Amino acid sequence: MYRALQSRLSIALLSGLLIASLVLTACGGGAAPTDTPAPQPTNAPKATDAPKPTEPPPAPSFSGTATITFVQEPDNLNPLYTSMFFSSITREFWLKGLWSFDDNAEPVPQLAAEVPSADNGGLSADGTTITVHLREDVTWSDGTPVTADDFVFTHDMIVSEKNVVQSRYPYEDYVASAEATDAHTLVIHLKEPFAAWQTSLFTYVLPKHVLQPVFDAEGTIDNAEWNRAPTVGVGPFVFSEWESGSHLIFKANPNWIAPPKLEQVFIRIVPDDAAQEAAIIAGDTDIGVFLSSDQIAKLEEGGLVDVVAVLSGYNEGWFLNVNPETAHPAMLDVNVRLAIALATDRFTIVKDLLLEDINPVNATFWDSNPPWGDPSIAPYPYDPEEAKKLLDAAGWVDSNGDGTRDKDGVELTLRYITNQRELRKNVQAVVQQQWALVGIGAELVNYSSDVYWNGYNDGGPQAQGLYDIAEYSSTPNSFPDPDASSGWLCDQISSADNPDGANWQGYCSEEMDALLKEQATTLDREARLKLYAQIEQLMYDEVLYVGIWKDPDLWSIHSRLQNVRLSGVSQFWNAHEWTVAP
Amino acid sequence: MVNYILRRLAQSIPQLFIISVLLFSLMQAFGDPIATLGARTPPRPEDKARLRRQLGLDQPAYIQYLVWLVGNDWMKIDKDGDGVPETPGTRTGVLRGDWGNSLVTRRPVLEVIGDRLPNTLLLMLTAEFIVIAVSLFVGVYSAIYKYSWFDNFITTSSFIGYSMPIFWLALMLIYIFGVNFKRWGLPYLPTVGMFDPQVGKTPVELAKHMVLPIATIAIISIAGYSRYVRSSMLEVMTQDYIRTARAKGLSNWKIVMRHALKNASLPFITLIGLDLPFLLAGAVVTERIFAWPGMGRLFIDHTERADFPVLMGILMLIALAVVIFQILTDVAYSFLDPRIRLS
Repeated sequence: MYRALQSRLSIALLSGLLIASLVLTACGGGAAPTDTPAPQPTNAPKATDAPKPTEPPPAPSFSGTATITFVQEPDNLNPLYTSMFFSSITREFWLKGLWSFDDNAEPVPQLAAEVPSADNGGLSADGTTITVHLREDVTWSDGTPVTADDFVFTHDMIVSEKNVVQSRYPYEDYVASAEATDAHTLVIHLKEPFAAWQTSLFTYVLPKHVLQPVFDAEGTIDNAEWNRAPTVGVGPFVFSEWESGSHLIFKANPNWIAPPKLEQVFIRIVPDDAAQEAAIIAGDTDIGVFLSSDQIAKLEEGGLVDVVAVLSGYNEGWFLNVNPETAHPAMLDVNVRLAIALATDRFTIVKDLLLEDINPVNATFWDSNPPWGDPSIAPYPYDPEEAKKLLDAAGWVDSNGDGTRDKDGVELTLRYITNQRELRKNVQAVVQQQWALVGIGAELVNYSSDVYWNGYNDGGPQAQGLYDIAEYSSTPNSFPDPDASSGWLCDQISSADNPDGANWQGYCSEEMDALLKEQATTLDREARLKLYAQIEQLMYDEVLYVGIWKDPDLWSIHSRLQNVRLSGVSQFWNAHEWTVAP
Repeated sequence: MVNYILRRLAQSIPQLFIISVLLFSLMQAFGDPIATLGARTPPRPEDKARLRRQLGLDQPAYIQYLVWLVGNDWMKIDKDGDGVPETPGTRTGVLRGDWGNSLVTRRPVLEVIGDRLPNTLLLMLTAEFIVIAVSLFVGVYSAIYKYSWFDNFITTSSFIGYSMPIFWLALMLIYIFGVNFKRWGLPYLPTVGMFDPQVGKTPVELAKHMVLPIATIAIISIAGYSRYVRSSMLEVMTQDYIRTARAKGLSNWKIVMRHALKNASLPFITLIGLDLPFLLAGAVVTERIFAWPGMGRLFIDHTERADFPVLMGILMLIALAVVIFQILTDVAYSFLDPRIRLS
C-alpha cells in the first residue's frame, strides 16, 4: 500500500515537473525566430503612422491575402442595421460613401467629385443646401452606374417607418430632403445649418437597383439577402463570403476607380483577446485591433509586428453629476469639484497602469480630436494640499474624526461608478486611496455595460443620476467633427418627465446652452474653433469633466503587410494601396 | 416498443411547453437587448424608443411570449408610433415553425443556429468519439491491471488533466504548439480558426485546426469518463458470472469483451446519453479561445446582447435533444440488458 502510494506520488511529481517545464518554455518565448526574415527596428508607437510612399500603378493583377482579426463579429453588413465598430470598419473595403477620411482625418473624395465648400459653390451661403457632384465614372461592382438616385434611395430607406433601422441620425434631425437634380448631382436640403454634415451625411450608399425590388416586394428591406451577403458593392473590394462565427472574405474589385493590389482580404473572428494576441505573435494575422497598452511590448518583441496608436476621438474621463436633484450636496460646489480633481493623481495612474506616451492625461473632452482640444488648457494638476484647503474653506471638515470629511451631518463619501472593465476597477481602487489622503470617501460601484448605459425608464444609473462621478471612454458624436452638444444642454436633462434626455450630468447654464447651440450651426472653422475654446474653458472652470487619459485605438500591423495607413475615422481608407511582401 | 416511444414523445409535449414558459420568464432578467446594440457608444434615446416599439419590446412579457409562441398575424401592431395599432403582424410563431428573428443580426433564428450547428457537431462529435474510445480503452485496461504502473500513471495524469482550467490549458496548447514550435522551427499547429485563408477550406486544413481544440476537450474529459469505466469494470469483474466464465475456461479477451464490458457499459451508456444532447450546446470556452464558430460561442455572444429569440431557440433545441436522447438511452438499455423490457 505504502509502495503504491509512493510510486503514485513520484509519478505525480514527475508529471508536475513536465507540465511546469512546458509552461516555462511557453512563457519564456525568448528564442529568436528561425523561419522569419531579419527583424526590423521596432518603431515607437506614434499618433498616426507616417505616410509611406505609394508605388507607381502596376498592371491590374491582384496578389496576396491580408488577414485581419476581429474580436467581435459584425451583426449585419447593411449599415442601416448596425452601429457596430467591426461592421462599419469593413465598409472602406466594399461600400464607400461620398468621401473617406485619411490618416490625418481629412476628407478624401470617393464617390463625390470634390468635397462641397462655400468656395466651390457646393455649400449655400446660409448653410442649408449642400450640392454634391458625383463622379461619373463610378459603377457598382456589377457594372451598374452609381447615380444620385442611389443616395436619395438611401435617405428614404433610413427614414422609412417600414424599416427597423438602428439609427436615423442625423437624417431625421437635420435633413429636410435629398434630391437628385440629375443623374450625378445630389442636393441635400437641411432644416438648419449643420456643422457636422461632412462626417455624418452619406458615409455610405445603398444600391437602389438591388434593394428597391426587395422593398417593393416585401414592404421592407429588413430581411434583404443583401444585408448579409452584399455581393454588389462599391469599393476596392467586393463581398465574397461570410461564414457565421468564422470569417468574412472580400475579393479584389477590378471595377473600382482605384483597383487594389491585394487579391483578397480575409477577416477572421477571434473572440478571445488572449487568443488574438497569440495569433498576432504567431504571424497568423496581419492586422489586429482593440489591443491594450500592456500588450505592446509582448507583441513587438519579435520585431515583426508594429503597434500603432490611432486617435479616434476617445478619451477616458470622469463625468461629474451636478444635478441638484440627485447629486451629493458637495458636488454642487465648484470648489469641491475642483478639490476632487486636484486630489486625484491621474499622472501616476497613467504611469502605473498604462503607457504615458500613448495614454497621456487629457485636459479636455476634445484632446483626442485635434484641432478641437484647446492646447492652452492643461490638465488639472495633482495638488492634495490645495485640495485640502479648498475643502476646508467649503466647510467640509472631519468633525467626527472618522477619517472622512463631513458637513451638517453629511459625510463626504462620493458614489464613483463605472462598468466592469478590470482596468477601470484598478483605477477606482487607486483613486479611493488617493482621496482618503485628503479625507474624501469613495463608494465604488460597477455595473455591467448594458445596465450602465440603460435609459432613465430602465433604471440606468447614469440616466437616473445615481452617481457623483461616472467614468468611461467617450468621443464626440461624429468624430472627427467635435459636436457633443446633447450632453450639456438644459433641455436634455434626463428626468421622469424627460426620460430620453441625453444630459445625464444635470448641468444647465445659459452660457453653455448658447455656446453649444451656436457651434452646432457654425460652418466657419475658425469661428467654431473659438467657440470650442470658450466651451472647453467653461467646462474646465466649472469642473464638469476631468480627463484621465487619451484613449487611442491600438492596432497591430505585421511587417508583411505594407502601405497600411490607418485612419481614426474610415480606418481602412487606403486598402487599395495595401500590398503583402512576397 | 413503438407504443412506448410514442407515449414518451406525447408526454414530452407538455414538458417542453412548461420549459418554454420558464425559459421565457428567465429571459426577462437577461437585460435590455437594445441597451448598447453592440456599439462603442450607446444609441440615442430617440432611436432606442423607436426600436423598442418597432421590435415589439415595449409590450408586456406575456404578450411577447404569446407572439413568440403563436405569432402576431392575427393582431395589429403599431408601426408608426402614433399609439394606434394599424399594421397587421407578420410573425407566425414557433408552433407554426417561425422562431422569430435575431435581435442582433436580424436574421431568422433557425438560419442563425443552422449556420453554427454543423461546426459544433463536427468538433464535438469527433471529440466525443475520441474521448469515448480512449476512456473505454484506458478504463478497461486500468481495471484489469489495477494498481499497475500504467494504472497509476493514467490515474495521476487524468487527474492532472481533469483539474486544469480549460482556458489555461487551451492557451498553453496554443503557445506551445502554435507559437513556440513555429519559433523553434518545428512542425507547428495553427492557432485559431477553421482553416488557413492562403490554403482554403480543405479537409486537411480542417483536421489540422481541429487538433488543438479536440486535444483540449479530450484532456479535460477523458479523466471523468475513464474513471467511470474503470470503477464499473472493477465492480463487474468480481461478479460470480465472471468467475463462472473463467471456470469454463474462456479466454481473458472473451471474458472482458463479452461478459464484463457489456454489463459494465450500462451506467456508461446512461452517462453518454445524458451528455450527448449537451454536445449541441458546444464547448463555450474551447470554441471561444480557438475561434471555432460553434454553438457555444453563439450562445455566449447572444447572451451578452440579451438576444432572447436566439437564446430561446438554442435552449429549446437542447431541451428537445435531452428528451429524445433520454428515450434513445432507454431503448439502448433494452438491447444491452435483456432483463429490461420497455412497455
